[in-house]
Order: sequence, then structure tokens, then C-alpha cells
Amino acid sequence: MDLQTRIENNAIVVSISGRLDAVTAPEYEKSIRELIESGHIHIVVDFEQLDYISSAGLRGLLLMAKLLNAKGGRACLANVKGNVQSVFDMCGFNAVFKMGNSVAEALTMLI
Amino acid sequence: MQGKNSIVIRLVLVITLSSIVIFAVTLGYNYYQSRVILQNELESNARNLAMSLVNRVEIQLTGVTKVTKGLAHYVETDKQTEQKLLSWIRTTVENNPEIYGAFVAFEPYAFSAKSRLYAPYYYREKGKIVFEGLENSYIDYPYPYWDWYQIPRELGKLEWSEPYFDEGAGNILMSTCSLPFYKEVNGKKQLQGVVGADVSLDALTEYISSVKILRTGYAALLTRNGTILAHPLKDAIMNDSFFSIAEERQEPFLRELGKKMVRGETGFVHYKSLVGFTSWMYYTPIPSTGWALAVLFPEAELLEDVRKLSMTMAAMGFVGILLLTLAVIYIAKAIIKPLQLLAAATDEIASGNFDVALPMVRSNDEVGGLTHDFQAMQASLKEYIKNLTETTAAKERIQSELKVATNIQASLLPRIFPPFPDHPEFDIYASMVPAKEVGGDFYDFFFIDEKNLCFLIADVSDKGVPAALYMMVAKTLLKTEGQRLGEPDKMLSSVNRILATDNESCMFTTVFCAILDITTGDVRFANAGHNPPLIIDSLGVRYLTPKPGLMLGAMSETVFLTERFALEQEGTLFLYTDGVTEAKNPEDMLYGEERLLKALQIAPQEDLAKMIHYISSEVSYHANGAPQSDDITMLAIKISKKRSA
Repeated sequence: MDLQTRIENNAIVVSISGRLDAVTAPEYEKSIRELIESGHIHIVVDFEQLDYISSAGLRGLLLMAKLLNAKGGRACLANVKGNVQSVFDMCGFNAVFKMGNSVAEALTMLI
Repeated sequence: MQGKNSIVIRLVLVITLSSIVIFAVTLGYNYYQSRVILQNELESNARNLAMSLVNRVEIQLTGVTKVTKGLAHYVETDKQTEQKLLSWIRTTVENNPEIYGAFVAFEPYAFSAKSRLYAPYYYREKGKIVFEGLENSYIDYPYPYWDWYQIPRELGKLEWSEPYFDEGAGNILMSTCSLPFYKEVNGKKQLQGVVGADVSLDALTEYISSVKILRTGYAALLTRNGTILAHPLKDAIMNDSFFSIAEERQEPFLRELGKKMVRGETGFVHYKSLVGFTSWMYYTPIPSTGWALAVLFPEAELLEDVRKLSMTMAAMGFVGILLLTLAVIYIAKAIIKPLQLLAAATDEIASGNFDVALPMVRSNDEVGGLTHDFQAMQASLKEYIKNLTETTAAKERIQSELKVATNIQASLLPRIFPPFPDHPEFDIYASMVPAKEVGGDFYDFFFIDEKNLCFLIADVSDKGVPAALYMMVAKTLLKTEGQRLGEPDKMLSSVNRILATDNESCMFTTVFCAILDITTGDVRFANAGHNPPLIIDSLGVRYLTPKPGLMLGAMSETVFLTERFALEQEGTLFLYTDGVTEAKNPEDMLYGEERLLKALQIAPQEDLAKMIHYISSEVSYHANGAPQSDDITMLAIKISKKRSA
């Protein structure tokens, strides 16, 4: 997994690529925790480059949502597709996260 | 031990050999230089000695020459009578003790017309002065034919004869100094005869022979012919010449040397003397007679002092080097000793005894530093081993506890098949293969009432001990809530609420939960984010498409829906977790839902255990040795043809 962040429209865009599974999820959780603790509470997670997500990855996303709720922040997902899309459909993630078809669309959903 | 020896030996060898080389070179140079200096001094000393000897000889010879010249002068200037001449000769002999005898020998008829030859001669015999008429002495061979007469007569100048033994005069070694004398006739010089004086050479040769140079060095005298005149070899005197000896000993060098000496040259040579020792020789001529004088310095005696000094120095050097070697051995041993002790101690440490006492650090040198470092190393090794032992023990404890946990977990899942032997209406079979020691997957089935069988399959996020703990809570809750509420949606909502409360670690579990009416085949089900199960019936194999629902524990206010479908006779419902569809092969390719569907189409359908084992082997065939990353759990339920009611 590779994780990159950039700031766009007062929000932070987190691009993840590769696999988000039991091996890489702790790293993702740590990065997100640091971002939120340093005051970034508006987050767009870009799934454009993500190949695979496991239940551990889903847990990381839930943790992010929980942490943001506590701080009054919000997260949107962008470019959810393919394999990841079907996992999200199956486990009802659509009810938890707002999803945009692009990073720009996701950014507008944050407001 | 070998290391110790080699260090000591190397030190001793290097230092001692270097010292020996330095000392030997110094000593050798000193010896050589002393020799050169000595030789230079020797040459001037030899020259001085030779010159003083030459002077001594010359003084004596000059006296004789003067007497001879005086006699000639007298004969030339005075018109003498025989009486007066005889008395003059006698007086001359009397007044000059160095002279043995003197004569005046006239040319034929030069003294008087009456007698042809006339040669009066006075000489000493037993303290008296005796007269002899030489004209009568040699009857067969008259005096004008003798060398002592002929040579000066022909050359017209003063001449010394070759030394000879005068047998008539008492066997003394003599030489004659002769000089021709003349008369003025009409302004022309006319030869009248030869005057001469005999001189005994005994004193001279004795003096030369008595010269001692150092202990065995000597002086020698050679005549113009190379005949030995004075020499320590008494037998050679007047018997041998330098050349005859050279010939006899077959030494061309000696002959060449003899030639140079006879020619009247001066020189300084290094050679083996006639007596037989190596020596330095200075030779120079005696000008008046043309003889050669030589002085010999024996080399061994010359160099004796230098040699003695060198020997003393060598002895001192030897003792010094011996002391140095002892000092080196002492120092080397002193250095080695603590190293040796340290090596012995480290051997002990190497064999595992970390409590061995290292030698005390007594010095601040490198060995002290090394010992100090070893002490530090020993302490940290000890600490490390202690920690390692503790962690290993702890790890072993955890391992054994995990094993116990695995056993507990396995015993929690229903494992006895068929579980309800008195219910032939349905078959049920399940299996769970954990990825780590304790898994996060589980399945369960239990009767809610007499005809409603609840069965479920679940997958807790994460694996290992936390997942197992969470799984136990979830499983217990699902069973109790299931038996209490009796409807899938209510069960899930209730359990979700409990799990989502205070779920700090954000763990969750996906659940597919269904209730089968065993009398009708009606299935009510609700899905909490779990993989869709498959239906195998007369229509074939297909995926059920439940409405999406969020996993249990994620959000407390999640709403679940109960759906329904009728399972026909001989129809099978196949439940699985993502450990099946997400099993990877070494190329990271997932097993996938497609493959699962196809596998079930050809799997044995009669016996559920065989069906599940077939899928299980298909999955491991696909994995092809790649490590199992997730628990693999499957559950199948089938409505039997024969129903009891």
C-alpha cells in the first residue's frame, strides 16, 4: 500500500494505492489518526488506485469515520469502483460514507 | 598458547635480529675504518722509519766515500815517494776505524817504469795493521781484472762493489768503495789507477737485522742484484737473492716486486713476507750504493689493537643484545599475561558461562581497555541472554495459551455431525480452518423452537486473539438473542446495538443469519455485510442476492431487513466466508466468486461433507502452496426428500 496526501479546498485528499488489508491497515489507521489529531477533519479518500480491500481495511475506514464524528468532521470517498465497490455494496458501506465519482465531486460533498 | 608464543617469538626475533644487524654493521664499519686510518698512518710511519734507516746507512757509507775521495785526492796532487804513499795509506786506515782496509792500485807501469803492477794494501788483522802487496796476491788473475778495479776504471766514477765475503781477511762481509784517480798530462786527464777502501758490512747488516718492528716485523737490505744482505732469515744472507726465492716459491708477484726494488723504486705494498706472514712493506733505495732497504709491518700485529677492541665491542654487544632479548621477553610476557588471562576468561564466556570473573583491569593501556570492553560485553550479553530467556519463556507461554485458546474456540463451534440425528428433514455440515492459531470466523446453528432452525456464518474483522475474543462475544450474543427474538432482522439489530456500544477498537463482524422452517423449507434471512450465499437446487447453482446491510458493530443505528425465499426439496444453501473467495495463489490471484460457482456445479451434491471437502481441496489447489491469509469457513444446509411431518 502506498499513501499520499495533498491539500485541496481546505480539505485533505488521501490517495491510497495497492492493497488495504490486514498487513497494511494498521499503517493506514496510524496515518489517518495523525492527520485527524493534527486538525485535518475534512478528508477525501481517493480509491482510484486501490486494488483490494479486506475486512481489516473496512475497519480502518470505520475507525476514520468514528474519529471524525467525535471531532465534528467528515469524510467522503472518491472513485470507489470494481472489486472495492462490490465489497462496499455487500457490507452496506454506502449507508456510512458519501461517495463521489471523482475527487472534485467528493470535495463538494464535504460541505 | 600458540598465539602467546608467536607474539613473544616474533617480538624477540624482530628486535634481536634488528639489533644484531645494526650492531654488526656498526662494528664492521668501525673495523674497516680503523684499518683504513691505520694503513694511512702506517705508510707515513714506514716511510719515516725507512728514511731514518737509510740515513744511518748513508752516514756510514758517506764516511767511507769521503776517505776514498781523500785518498784519491792525495794520490793525484802529491808527487809522492813510495815511502810517503805507504805511510799515508797506513795512517788513513789507522785514523778511520770504520775502514777495514785501504789500497792504491796503479795502472801497469804507472807508478814506476821498473815494475809493471804496483798495489799497496793495508788492512786490519787481529788489532794490527798489516801490509800486503796486491800485485803479488793474485798470481793467476792479476788485480787489474778484478771487478773492484775494472768497474770504476771503466765507468770513471766512484763505485761500490757487490758485497762479498773476504775469505783472506777473516771471512767478513765486505764491500769496497773504489774511485779512479788521474794525472794531468798536457792538460789531459790520464788514468793512473784506482784507490779503494774496504768496509766491513757486518756492523751495518747487524744493525739492520736488529731492527724490530712491533714483535715480528723487521728490516731487510738487498744488493743491486737482489742478493739478500740483511734479513732475519740468517741462512739466506749472501746465499739467496730475492729472485731465487721468487723462483723457488713460484711467485711472479715477488719477482716483479724484486725488480722494482732493484730498479731503485720506492713503494708501499701489502704482501706475504718471505718469513711467511701477511704484512705491509715499505721499500726505498739507498742512493749511494743502489741497494734496496725494506721495512715490514706484520698486519696481524698492526691490527691487533683494533682486533682486540672489536672483540671487546663484540662481547659487549653480545651481552647487550642478550640483555635486550631478556628485556623484550619480559615485556612481551608482561603484555601477554593479561591477554592470556582474558583469553581464558573469554573462552569460558564463549562456552556459555557468563558469570566467570574477568581479570582485574590494572593498567590504562590497550589491554586494560580491551578487558574493560569485555566486561561491558559480558554484562550486556548476560542481560541479553536473561531477556532472551524471559521472552522465550513468555513466548512459549503465549504459544501454549494460544493453543488452549484454539482448542476452546474449536470446542465452541458445533463439531459433531450429524448434529441432530433425530431430524432427518435436513442435512447440515460446516468446517472452519483458521489462518492463525485462533480465527475470527465462526458458524453456528441451533433450534429456536421445534421447527425453526437458526443457522449463521460470520467473519470478524481482523484475526488472532482480539478477533477470537470478539467472536466469542458475538457468537454468544447471536445465540441468546436468536433464541429470544426468533427473527433474523431483530436478532441482528439487537446484537449490533450491543456490539456498537463502546466499540473503541472499531471491530466488527459480518453475519449472514437465516432461520429455516424445517417443516416448509421457508427460509427467512438477514445479511449484515456478509458474502452472498449460493443456492443449489433444480434451477442450478446461483448466488442469492440479499439486500446490503452494514456489518455488526459498525454503527449502532443500523437497520436490518428480513427477506424470504423457499428452499425446495433436495435444495442446498451454501454459506462461506471471504477466506474462500479471497484465497490467493502465489501470483496473488484470488479464488473468486466465479470459480466458487463453477466448483459447486461439479461438486458432489448428495453428501454435504463431501461437497465442502471438495470445495476445500479446490481452494487449496488454487492456493498452490501460498500461505493461507484468512480463515476458511463453509456451511451447507440441505432439505431432505423425506420429511417427518
